[in-house]
Amino acid sequence: MKTKAKKIGKSVSRTATVCLLIVGFCVLAVQTLNVRQVYAGDATPSFDDSGDKIFRSYEEIPPNYMIGDSGNRTLATYYDRRQYPGSPPVIPHPVETTFSKNKTECLACHAKGGWNAELAASAPLTPHPEKEACRQCHVRLNTDKNFVEHDWVSISPPRLGQAQLPGGPPPIPHNLQMRENCIACHTGPGAVVEIRVEHSSRGNCRQCHVPLPMTPLVRFERK
Amino acid sequence: MAMPTIIEPGTKGIKMNLTRRDFIKAAAAQSALMTAAVLFPGITFGDWQRMDDSATGFQWKKTPCRFCGTGCGLLVGVQGGRAVAVKGDPACSVNKGLCCVKGYHSIQALYGKDRIKTAQVRKDGKMVDVPISEALDLIADKMKETIGKHGKDSVAMYGSGQWTIPDGYAASKLFKGCIGTNNVEANARLCMASAVTGFMTSFGLDEPMGCYEDMDYADVFVTWGNNMAEMHPVLFSRMLANRKRKKDVQIIDFATRTTRTSQAADKSILFKPQTDLAVANAICYEIIRNGWVNENFVKKHVSFHRGKTNIGYGTEDHFKFKDKAQNISFEQWTEFLKDYTPEKVEKISGVPAKDIKYLASLYGDPDKKVTSFWCMGMNQHTRGTWINNLVYNIHLLTGKISTPGNSPFSLTGQPSACGTVREVGTLTHKLPHGVVMKEKARKMAAEIWNVPVSNIDPKPTYHTVEMFRALDRGDIKFMWIQVTNPMVTMPNLIRYREGSLKKDRFVVVSDVYPTPTTDIADVILPAAMWIEQEGMYGNSERRTQHFEQILNPPGEAMSDTWQLIEVAKRLGFEKQFPWTEENHIEMIWNEYSRFHDSPKHRMAPYNVLKKRSGVQWPFVNGKETKWRFHAKYDPAAKGEDFHFYGKPDNRAWIWQRPYEPPAESPDQEYNFWLNTGRVIEHWHTGSMTRRVPVLNGAVPSAYVEINPDDAANLGVVNGEMVKIISRRGSITMPASINGRGMPTKGQVFVPFFDEGYLINEVTLDAFCPISKQPDYKKCAVRLEKA
Repeated sequence: MKTKAKKIGKSVSRTATVCLLIVGFCVLAVQTLNVRQVYAGDATPSFDDSGDKIFRSYEEIPPNYMIGDSGNRTLATYYDRRQYPGSPPVIPHPVETTFSKNKTECLACHAKGGWNAELAASAPLTPHPEKEACRQCHVRLNTDKNFVEHDWVSISPPRLGQAQLPGGPPPIPHNLQMRENCIACHTGPGAVVEIRVEHSSRGNCRQCHVPLPMTPLVRFERK
Repeated sequence: MAMPTIIEPGTKGIKMNLTRRDFIKAAAAQSALMTAAVLFPGITFGDWQRMDDSATGFQWKKTPCRFCGTGCGLLVGVQGGRAVAVKGDPACSVNKGLCCVKGYHSIQALYGKDRIKTAQVRKDGKMVDVPISEALDLIADKMKETIGKHGKDSVAMYGSGQWTIPDGYAASKLFKGCIGTNNVEANARLCMASAVTGFMTSFGLDEPMGCYEDMDYADVFVTWGNNMAEMHPVLFSRMLANRKRKKDVQIIDFATRTTRTSQAADKSILFKPQTDLAVANAICYEIIRNGWVNENFVKKHVSFHRGKTNIGYGTEDHFKFKDKAQNISFEQWTEFLKDYTPEKVEKISGVPAKDIKYLASLYGDPDKKVTSFWCMGMNQHTRGTWINNLVYNIHLLTGKISTPGNSPFSLTGQPSACGTVREVGTLTHKLPHGVVMKEKARKMAAEIWNVPVSNIDPKPTYHTVEMFRALDRGDIKFMWIQVTNPMVTMPNLIRYREGSLKKDRFVVVSDVYPTPTTDIADVILPAAMWIEQEGMYGNSERRTQHFEQILNPPGEAMSDTWQLIEVAKRLGFEKQFPWTEENHIEMIWNEYSRFHDSPKHRMAPYNVLKKRSGVQWPFVNGKETKWRFHAKYDPAAKGEDFHFYGKPDNRAWIWQRPYEPPAESPDQEYNFWLNTGRVIEHWHTGSMTRRVPVLNGAVPSAYVEINPDDAANLGVVNGEMVKIISRRGSITMPASINGRGMPTKGQVFVPFFDEGYLINEVTLDAFCPISKQPDYKKCAVRLEKA
């Protein structure tokens, strides 16, 4: 009798657990679904979809890059080279204009980073070295005059330090598309002072830093 | 005028707000403030004019890019009613999340301060702002008056491969269906006509059989006079990625000038202008000589033909030409090719015989998949149709076609040259389905358009060059120009500008910025640009791409479609244009789709287009068609493999086409070739890209590229002024030596984006007699140090 009751109890509790799990899963699924809908084409997909890329790029970074320095370049310089947060930066240094049969040599410095004696500066790493046609997106400016007056208005760059708790890990405030390599901009010569991190050797950035949504969340309500 | 000064390192990008910027720059140097930035998160120092942060509702919206024919999917960030950011759409198979420098900054082209926001009408020689309804009334009145006095063929429409599909459809319906004149042309005549006649003569149906996915499978790429690194950069980088991934991929650049594409290629082969005709024949000669012919394919799927020769150049008014096909045998064709041995062709083309043999061995290797790319180099060619045929010959002889990676691929230059001009048929001889000469096509159009069949004239009128000649002569009195800038792009420009300014010519121009074309206008209509309206484009690979209206157009600006509808209603065609502002795009799409309702060309329904980042036609039973003419991929193809159903004999046609010289070659007096084209930063006439700060900053003005040896003989150094003189006109501009590209000795190159240097005043209006597309790549000039 006692054992029978025990058995029934067990099976009831098992069923209950399974039910709870299913409900929990449904809730989660709904939540994820909501998020997915909101962020179609936004930061969230590349955060996970390109996960392997984030790890691989970390592995491929030469150790001496990690201890490189951007001097006193600031975020102001960083954004000065862009038209809006996320636009491809212009080339700030002279590039070989003499026509030669050599292929584009940008990657000689920007694939691995490191000190460039000619420019007396450390070269920042590109977060997307697999793309070789650099000047498809990056151009050198030859004038600072506009053709006509312009009415361009940009969004503000993402705010820094949006950690929820004092000393907590700040979330990732920008889109990761084509910027899957965190180290490229947050450590070494590419890291301007405001966004330099001192603990990049820990490797798995996403262990602590999660993407910050750029669109307001649709609040989940239990029904 | 000297070349623009180079900004030294340390100088920052484009300035939007100098005082604040300078202040901040100075301040930022102090470490105190740097610390402040870390302590007070949120402080940043970019120097743009900034959105109010309280403006909410940031959203990403999908659209095809505004610029070239690649058709990259973009996601445009919208906040507070303005476009504020761009990223590549990862869901779009064309570009998979990557753009080029124009695409990333494309939205800035919407915000030049000199956007045309109100209608203007010329009164006593001066342009005066008027309400747009008054301008539309005037246009309708003027059209009625002109038709009344001079007949229906005295009014003309000149549109564009940047028209949306509904724009072109409304224009065709109004002019061809309602008014009853075939005076409808588009600037795609200047960029794609030879591609069309090439397809029609070789396959009987327009547009590529392959798609961009071919790039992921091909082992060899040959770019025929095609600087893809600058003109189709996103496709070019996909090609590079393929080479990097597969290791044994080869890129061969076959061109008249050394460019960025040559730099990236595994081999660069230079030929003398126009001799691509001879080289293509020599490649076929070598393939046959070495026994590399795919005999099974040729026997089953190919027939051989010959056309007329000595076909002229169309430089005189009222030039007429009609080709006539004659059947020939494979043996007759082989006999003809004996004039094109690599050794003989080396003498004409300057291409070493061993390089010709090398090219032939790549095409001939049965284990290699080969994709050929071309665009303006082959299309803007006085034998443009022929050279298109000749490259198809190579692919047909080896059976390298209509299968993944084997692809003769004709690229387009405009976002909807295919979608609007070729598919809707906004050319004088075309209807949305078929040509005006065919009764069946006229009947179909009349039925769908709800007009009497007698309305549609069975005779084509003027192709583009002849249309501007007719305007000059006075045969055309009224011309309406939309989304294009012919007063920069017409060859032999001086004649056509003067013609358009003659007494009792009336020119209406719809555009977004002032251009040399709005300068000659009697009425200027402010147009909605790109995502300020709903519409569709069609790209190079048969992909139709829908975009919704994402922004409001400025001032009284109105879409080109709606401008046409407003005028149509004023002309009394309410019955044919019954739609509302809310539903007209969907209605037009549904009506237009009826023209293509067969497995050969079925278009995706409106709701599918709205959802996806582009859909390829034929779209049959919910499936896109990636490769045409092969039963495995194409629902219209019958049998077990290839089926070239476009021709009555169900075969693809190999054409016997000889080498013939261009209309004008360098001689004693005019001893240089002039070649014209583009640079990556600027698109066409630069009316949009020059207003984008970064793009203008990178290439602020045009220049003439000269070979270093020629420059030394002439005694000019980089940046010095050179006068370029032809039989039509002259222009003085700065020299660029060892710059972006390097022409061969005896050749100069000038980009045409700069309205400050109108190079088309120098070019020649000779065209391919079959396609009527002008040759912007070859004419004779001489140089003087200015």
